[in-house]
Amino acid sequence: MNALTDSIVPGIEELEFRRELASRLGGEAAVARHHEAGKLTIRERIQGLCDGGSFQEVGALTGTGSYDDQGRLQGVTPAPYVMGLAEIDGRPVAIGGEDYTVRGGASWSGDRKKGGQGGFVEDLALNYKIPLINLCDGVGGSVTSAERRGHTVFPGVHGFETATALLGQVPVVCAVMGTAAGGPAGRAILAHWSLMVKGNSQVFAAGPPVVKRSLGQDIHKEDLGGSKVAVDVAGTIHDAFPSEDACFEQIRRFLSYMPQNVWELPPRKLANDPVGRREEALANIVPQDRRKAYNMRKVIGMIFDKESVFEMQPTYGKGVITSLARLDGFVVGIIANNPMFYGGAIDAAGARKQTHFIEMCDTFHIPLIFLVDVPGFMVGRDAEAQGTLRDGMRSVFVSLQATVPMATVVVRKCYGMAGMAATDKMGIGLKLAWPTAEWGSLPVEGGVAAAFRREIEAADDPKAKEAEIEAKLRRFGSPFRTAEAFGVEDVIDPRETRGYLARFIKAAQSSMRINLGPKLKMGVRP
Amino acid sequence: MSVDVKSEVVGSVWKVQCEIGQRVSEGDELIVIESMKMEIPVEAEASGVIAAILVQEGQPVEEGQVVVTIDEDK
Repeated sequence: MNALTDSIVPGIEELEFRRELASRLGGEAAVARHHEAGKLTIRERIQGLCDGGSFQEVGALTGTGSYDDQGRLQGVTPAPYVMGLAEIDGRPVAIGGEDYTVRGGASWSGDRKKGGQGGFVEDLALNYKIPLINLCDGVGGSVTSAERRGHTVFPGVHGFETATALLGQVPVVCAVMGTAAGGPAGRAILAHWSLMVKGNSQVFAAGPPVVKRSLGQDIHKEDLGGSKVAVDVAGTIHDAFPSEDACFEQIRRFLSYMPQNVWELPPRKLANDPVGRREEALANIVPQDRRKAYNMRKVIGMIFDKESVFEMQPTYGKGVITSLARLDGFVVGIIANNPMFYGGAIDAAGARKQTHFIEMCDTFHIPLIFLVDVPGFMVGRDAEAQGTLRDGMRSVFVSLQATVPMATVVVRKCYGMAGMAATDKMGIGLKLAWPTAEWGSLPVEGGVAAAFRREIEAADDPKAKEAEIEAKLRRFGSPFRTAEAFGVEDVIDPRETRGYLARFIKAAQSSMRINLGPKLKMGVRP
Repeated sequence: MSVDVKSEVVGSVWKVQCEIGQRVSEGDELIVIESMKMEIPVEAEASGVIAAILVQEGQPVEEGQVVVTIDEDK
């Protein structure tokens, strides 16, 4: 199609021409370069993620028009942001993302912003109370905009106010699809769930040129902000997947557990899996020898609805397993300790992961189920230096502020402050124990040497004395003795776990239904 | 395809429970690492045949260290 030559054309023809220009994004050459880098364009991304034909674009005509000296339109460089309303599994979402093929997806601003901080797409999600999906692929502000504007923009003029408000009201997913620095990187963090593409996306406060200039460091962008750093080590982004298509599939999956907003309950989806299913293998999955670890993910798989478990952040804070799942079709959040990773001790990363997951589930009225096998917070010089105690206590604080129903199943160990983060002693909170359970302020092994030091040292055979005291104390550690005192509500056969929990999760729906809406957060997190 | 089986934790090799050429299924325990006074099993990440065992009993291992490789069934 050529530029319009006739100045008197019906509006519809001009509209179609302008839409055609918008669909070309940054032009054939820029799109080809983008494809060669193994990336999809923003339009292909939206199409790949959302239900077929469901995208109702808003603001396609936005951009910078060029005109000849008679004022006739020659072309339009589209704004580097594409957004609108779409549907995922038949439910409306607000979706948008930078168009990297136009000026590297740099910030753009007309009378009103389309995307980015305070953009229309955020208003759409906030006002319609629908989930927001950010597809991040841009480098944020550019110093060239100062030349164009004639002044520099004060930080926060286009701020994070809406992005912040959204986190308490509707599900927000941020997917880093390319290189995200500055504002887009900041927005990627302001999400309930964030993800990126392994090997083909990076996220950082500033990229290699700025790092070189500031610190003299030569570093490749993948080593600075690829998934091995951002996801596995830092936890800056929650998860990474091998391709953009895999990301889209996982976004659809994540949203299937989420309500549209905090005024609704998460959608129940009945599985073809009887509530009364008893898995025989649960009876002896925990080894008698308490030194032996076992696979907690197998425990989770056997208790909850088949094929319903969606683990989040599996490569970060590996001592804690956080998964969304369904039980009798109801959405639940699972927090389980992983004995295969340092015996399930909670380190700073594990505590951070647990804190975020509790807040997310509390916000969206997703009841929490703790499967506990925790010897305590991680100990040692490294753990102290990482601030394990602070992050661990923050997790305790957040779990005590949460008002969503919680149930605790003590699978084996439940010790000390880390154990406190996994229980709710009040109200609807339910504490169940398997016969293999044991608990206390600290495990007997460590405690005996400290508390009976003099007695042990005075004995003829100190080792035998220590073993004797340990054996005596261990007898008091039977979960049945605590059950006699109603210190736990019940000791159950592991095979009954599914049926027992399902009854309480079903019953909890009534209280959740009358407690819908945003959660008020007070006080200072430690 | 060859699959690397890694130790998730720092520790020392407590037991080697597989042999080269042995057929294993996903989830089988191949190696036991001792860490934090616990015996931590390292499980097969895929079904196939043990191609190499890269550690010996008593040897210290680092987090993420490859301990066994498996020739995965097609």
